[in-house]
Amino acid sequence: MGEFPTLPSGTGNQGVDAIVSGFERLGYITDRSLATAVYLVTKLRKPILVEGHAGLGKTEVAKVLASFLGTRLIRLQCYEGLDVNSAVYEWNYQKQLLAIKIEEGSNKSVEEKERHIFTREFLLERPLLQSILAENASPVLLIDEIDRADEAFEAFLLELLSDYQITIPEMGTIYAKHVPYVVLTSNRSRDLGDALKRRCLYQWIDYPSLEKEMKIVRTRLPRIEEELARQVVGYVQAVRGLNLSKPPGVAETLDCAEALLTLGMPKLDEDAIEQTLGCISKSVEDSAKIRTAGAERLLAGSMGRLQ
Amino acid sequence: MIGLVGLSSDVARTIVEFCRFAREKGLSPGVQETLDALDAAAALGVRNSEEMKFGLRAILCSSKDDWDLFEECFEAFGRESAPKPPSNRTKVLRKELATRVSERNSTSLMSTGSGDDVSSKLDGAQAVTGASARERLTQADFSTLSHSDLAALEQISLRLFKQMSRRLARRRRIATSRGQVDLRRTIHRNISRGGEPMNLRYRQRKPRPHRLVTLLDISGSMSAYSLFLVKFLYALQKHFRRVDTFLFSTGLVEITSLFRAQRLQEALQALSQQPAGWSGGTNIGGSLREFNDIHRRKLRSSDTLFVILSDGWDTGDPGVLAGELCTVKRRVRRLIWLNPLLGLKDYQPIASGMSAALPHVDVFAPAHNLDSLLALEKHL
Repeated sequence: MGEFPTLPSGTGNQGVDAIVSGFERLGYITDRSLATAVYLVTKLRKPILVEGHAGLGKTEVAKVLASFLGTRLIRLQCYEGLDVNSAVYEWNYQKQLLAIKIEEGSNKSVEEKERHIFTREFLLERPLLQSILAENASPVLLIDEIDRADEAFEAFLLELLSDYQITIPEMGTIYAKHVPYVVLTSNRSRDLGDALKRRCLYQWIDYPSLEKEMKIVRTRLPRIEEELARQVVGYVQAVRGLNLSKPPGVAETLDCAEALLTLGMPKLDEDAIEQTLGCISKSVEDSAKIRTAGAERLLAGSMGRLQ
Repeated sequence: MIGLVGLSSDVARTIVEFCRFAREKGLSPGVQETLDALDAAAALGVRNSEEMKFGLRAILCSSKDDWDLFEECFEAFGRESAPKPPSNRTKVLRKELATRVSERNSTSLMSTGSGDDVSSKLDGAQAVTGASARERLTQADFSTLSHSDLAALEQISLRLFKQMSRRLARRRRIATSRGQVDLRRTIHRNISRGGEPMNLRYRQRKPRPHRLVTLLDISGSMSAYSLFLVKFLYALQKHFRRVDTFLFSTGLVEITSLFRAQRLQEALQALSQQPAGWSGGTNIGGSLREFNDIHRRKLRSSDTLFVILSDGWDTGDPGVLAGELCTVKRRVRRLIWLNPLLGLKDYQPIASGMSAALPHVDVFAPAHNLDSLLALEKHL
């Protein structure tokens, strides 16, 4: 893999390093792959599309990036039927009605009244507009689970992401003062349009390695005993090999470890696995599979891999 | 454009070469991606090839498939690229980019007509050899259906879909009466009356489209019907907002994108261009498992119709079929199995696959002629 000619150490490497360590300080353990992509987001100012299984910290990327940059996080949760009113802007109708009432007696012309009630004062800014209107610094715009929104919305988004401008018929076009850092996440419930994908950097987040997951558990739950952490991580990693319908993500590992801490269980045994099964498995079939596999094997497997 | 400034010629050339290489291997970096890659290299100030790899991967990939392919691609590039004699760098680079521009233009023109990348994916996913669909098109005894019949099918389909959408519209009206007051339009409309809302404007809920997922059996035993049914599926596809269409025989092939935004003839043409296991054996259980493994997330219990078109002759394990169907069943609103053989007078669903499947099926209906398809309307 040494085919790319090497350059003297540049700022880029330091940038990537800074992101790795900065994210770690904020409690988010990342690898160089993701850090490199995030670094490119900040340099090339392209949106990034993060895909991966549930519970692996896709959404967290945006949150941590916002804290890291010391900027605001603006979040848009997508769902089917998401429309412009809830994603971009809406007029504050009650206030508009009130304003019209108040001005009833004044001798302003209809045009003047109209102009007045369609000013920013009466505008309810939804996430996408907020991200464009940011005054001081580029915010981080998180567009979560974009695959849930319908294709029409995706097309709209495409327009926004290329020009960073929004047109409001009554007001005119608003241009972004500071282009936001855009993070999109998707659970791959449907394929996104090619045009949108092309516009984005791409990052696939896979299940973490044993070492990485250990590090995550240690960082997030500093009071956990090393031995218990090892057991939990090994166990969850073994469970992931069981071909469940919903394999546990890192979030589940943390839930399980935290549950054990809360229950005051010093080690993970068959009994503890049974009691915390709800943290790991989210369906009857999966629970059955875990039980069939047997606590012994799941725990032994984890120990074997560790030694 | 920072890429060409402050970047050593070797790095730039290698990146451009890599982009070209990646293209040959099946990734699809265009000029923009190449330029982005150059920008990225400049921004990263590459010290080791690992970061270069991560950067390139973020830029050149746009899906999990790409992601997996990239790894291979990158390593192969490392193996293949031998040191080359230095040449006039800017000239080379410019030439590379120029060729890339022209290549891109020509390929994009070509690929709008036929589902190029789709077909290559299909080839990879399904290496079953068999008569290509074009042969099937010319040889299958579907020729028994005359032109007038085909026209009738078109008309009937139209009627079917019109009624369906009308019914959907009615359902919505009953549910939400006049819809919500659209304050925005109401206010706009009534400014001249001092904002007194005299003329109300309404907004209705957008009709929630049913999703349709169809799996069509194209194995040998279905050959008399599959072509006809492909056309039927094509017609169906136009009327649902979201449709996922699959073919299966011994394995599963998704043809959703092949069908989309094309005329029927073009779709058939595109279908015919790869042998997708037409008239091969059948493994319904295995195909369903493949579906569940990869495409399960496309099912949403609230509004998904799941339609299987198959005669139920299965060479796989009936237990697997039953299990996988059960999984599907729990994730859809309605599971419909259309069986052309049901049109035969003395047909009994005793084929092991079919009898294993029946307990999980909501609607079991024939699909051997136009009438039977028309009767489907009440289930959609």
